[in-house]
Amino acid sequence: MRSEPEVEQPTADLSKTYDAVIVGSGAAGGMAAYVLTKHGLNVLLLEAGRKQPIEKELKSMEWPYQHPRRGEMPPDDHALTHNEYTVRPRPYAKGMPYNHVYSYVQGWGGSDYSKNIVVDEKDNPTTGTPYAWVRARLLGGKTAIWGRLALRLSDYDFKAASRDGFGENWPIEYKDIEPYYDRVDLTLGIAGMKENLPYLPDSKFQRSYRLNKGEMMFREAMAKQGRVATPYRAGVTTDGIKGNKYRSKCLGRGACNRRVGGCDIHAAFDSPTGLIYPAFDTGNLSIRTNATVYEVTVDKNTGLASGVSFIDSVTKQTYQVKAKTVLLGASTLETARLLMLSKSTTYPNGIGNSSGHVGHNFCEHVMGPGVTGLIKDLVGKPHTLDDGRPGGFYLARFRNLTEKNPNFIRGYGFEGESGQGMFPGHAFSTSGFGKDFKKSVRDHAGAFISMGGFGEVLARYENYVEIDPEQKDRWGIPVLRFNYKFGDNERKMAKDMTESAKQMFEDAGIQIVGVDDEVLTEGWSIHEMGTSRMGSDPKKSVVNQHQQSHDVKNLFVVDGSTHVSAANQNPTWTIMALCWRSCDYLADQLGKGNLA
Amino acid sequence: MSIEMKRRELFKFAAGSAVAVSAMRAQSPHLFFTPDEFAIVDELTEILIPADEKSGGAKAAKVAVYLDRELAEAFDDDQRQKTRAGIALVDKLSMKMNEVGFLAATPKQRVEVVSTMAGDEEKPKTPEEMFFHEIKSAAVRAYYTSKIGIEDQDYKGNTMQMKDYAGELPSGPALGNAGSK
Ligand SMILES: Cc1cc2nc3c(=O)[nH]c(=O)nc-3n(C[C@H](O)[C@H](O)[C@H](O)COP(=O)(O)OP(=O)(O)OC[C@H]3O[C@@H](n4cnc5c(N)ncnc54)[C@H](O)[C@@H]3O)c2cc1C
Ligand code: SF4
Repeated sequence: MRSEPEVEQPTADLSKTYDAVIVGSGAAGGMAAYVLTKHGLNVLLLEAGRKQPIEKELKSMEWPYQHPRRGEMPPDDHALTHNEYTVRPRPYAKGMPYNHVYSYVQGWGGSDYSKNIVVDEKDNPTTGTPYAWVRARLLGGKTAIWGRLALRLSDYDFKAASRDGFGENWPIEYKDIEPYYDRVDLTLGIAGMKENLPYLPDSKFQRSYRLNKGEMMFREAMAKQGRVATPYRAGVTTDGIKGNKYRSKCLGRGACNRRVGGCDIHAAFDSPTGLIYPAFDTGNLSIRTNATVYEVTVDKNTGLASGVSFIDSVTKQTYQVKAKTVLLGASTLETARLLMLSKSTTYPNGIGNSSGHVGHNFCEHVMGPGVTGLIKDLVGKPHTLDDGRPGGFYLARFRNLTEKNPNFIRGYGFEGESGQGMFPGHAFSTSGFGKDFKKSVRDHAGAFISMGGFGEVLARYENYVEIDPEQKDRWGIPVLRFNYKFGDNERKMAKDMTESAKQMFEDAGIQIVGVDDEVLTEGWSIHEMGTSRMGSDPKKSVVNQHQQSHDVKNLFVVDGSTHVSAANQNPTWTIMALCWRSCDYLADQLGKGNLA
Repeated sequence: MSIEMKRRELFKFAAGSAVAVSAMRAQSPHLFFTPDEFAIVDELTEILIPADEKSGGAKAAKVAVYLDRELAEAFDDDQRQKTRAGIALVDKLSMKMNEVGFLAATPKQRVEVVSTMAGDEEKPKTPEEMFFHEIKSAAVRAYYTSKIGIEDQDYKGNTMQMKDYAGELPSGPALGNAGSK
């Protein structure tokens, strides 16, 4: 691994006109920078956060006892709880006495390693309906700590509306995006196992992670029912990436999965080492961190985007920069916010919003239902290395594929794992004390298995975000107000998730020791999508199949806000494949003079 | 602006508690516990998680030292006071059962006190039962994140796997080539 380039350029030239300015440096913005610089375009990347010394932050190999608080963040910092998300008025952090208030992920183990990655709710308030919005403002965005599960969508998803009559189809088919999924796989690395499932297409996999005893047993039991529990498909390189000197192959240490996330040797994909540094090395990329974009500017004569305005997050000074094309990859909701903030006489509704659909058709995944079980055969057995990997297993969707469920449409999948972890969580619920207690904790370590569901939330026009007329963030920028609730389909699906999870464990001979049937707060999945959806009809969508604004031809939206439906697969790999496809198109069109 | 103000208020608050804590430290070798409180927690957590043929217990893992530090810097003074009150309950219960305080009781008597405190673990009701739940959870957290506690579990992870990863690789697609239905 080579040391990182000095990418922070507070002095990036703001006087010239760039071929493209990209807003945000996460999965979407990073991919845009990677592809456009390879096409030889002159690109400026603007990122609201700063560049964190990420290896120093993460300390992936540190043991809990080497840390003064066993890896926990300082006591005057607070992570919002499920209960607080439900009962506290918004903005959540208002009136809280803590030094910093973070989203719920900082309530997980190892929170001290991610406290400078996840945003402070005090600086970044929201209003409206409850929403557990997890954000990361730094170079790389949420990819610094993402959960690494990397899945493809299929025509079961792209053509879902044709299958069940709800909502809209995507303006693309699987065959349109397949070559781009392949490129993302090969450029970034993905570990997994071929399963030949038409509803969960295989990737160009590197060496797969393995299953432990409990998981193998569960996989075999599921296969008998025609269901597939496959090794975690991880956006992690297990064989290394040729030509990328910033990343190394996964050494199976498991830190990424024990903590909020992150890998200090960059085996797990993150946008800086996977995309941005390689883009920087082309010589075509300029980067400015601490640059919070608050407006896409417009050329009144042509109606085209002329560039962006941003505020320096530290000095609060404002700047303008000009570009031939503008790409928004600030993450789904931030991108919608930016479009709506960009009001002008030409675009009184916000730029790119003649349809009135910006902020609407907001969707994600519903979470909460899950089950924990005990595999009796494993009690008292010698312990094995079970958690040296980025994840356990993924149980693919099985609902509404061939049969039609009478209660709900669409599907869900489960993430789960078995085996011994570093901390024996079951000790909290092991009764008694003394030698027997200690022995019981030891004997049961590794004998549990658990899984939790991720279900598709339907993209509905009524679920939307808008600009709050009063509340502003720390930089004086108006914030989002949420008008977003799970509906009947989600509730019925969640109920089925619990029931089917229990049934599957019973069928596999696993003794159920815990059942979760409560639906978690909206936002919990950290998979926000929609709000600027793609489509061929400019009246019902914001961008076309190339993520190009219907209204403003040199404006592109390259993140998850363009997703037409949430499907039930985690979105990041799809965000990047779509972005690559759109950037190829953009470079081609720009070359032909079609974007001026 | 309001954020800045709250930060300042908070700073005052934090400074206040630091003063209180350091004043206490003058009379005790510990950060928060008095010597007696420390001794009770040390004994009590060792009863909960004792040394056995396999590994050291709470004492060896310095559980009380860790909890002392954690309480000293706890954000919520409530947490400190609750623990202090809970420790007092242990002593009181011992007086009632054995006519001596917890530290003066015999090892057998101490275990009886802890058994009584444990009560119905599923549904703690009395203050003693609630405190048992609290201190047991705290001991579990501190012990199983210590070196001794992690080794007690024969934990194999947090290591570099240079070659093959541990575990089993399924032999092929779960549903064969007929994954589609
Ligand atoms: C704990 C966790 C686990 C996850 N697990 C998974 C998983 O297993 N699989 C999966 O597919 N996905 C997962 N995700 C989601 C995944 O991280 C996101 O889908 C992905 O990062 C989205 O990429 P993005 O570029 O759209 O947004 P981000 O990665 O959030 O990047 C957006 C960037 O834009 C910047 N920005 C925002 N506003 C502005 C502005 N106005 N001006 C300039 N810059 C701005 C932000 O600072 C940020 O750096 C997880 C996320 C988290 C937090
Ligand atoms: S398991 Fe692999 S990806 Fe995860 S932290 Fe370790 S080396 Fe990184």
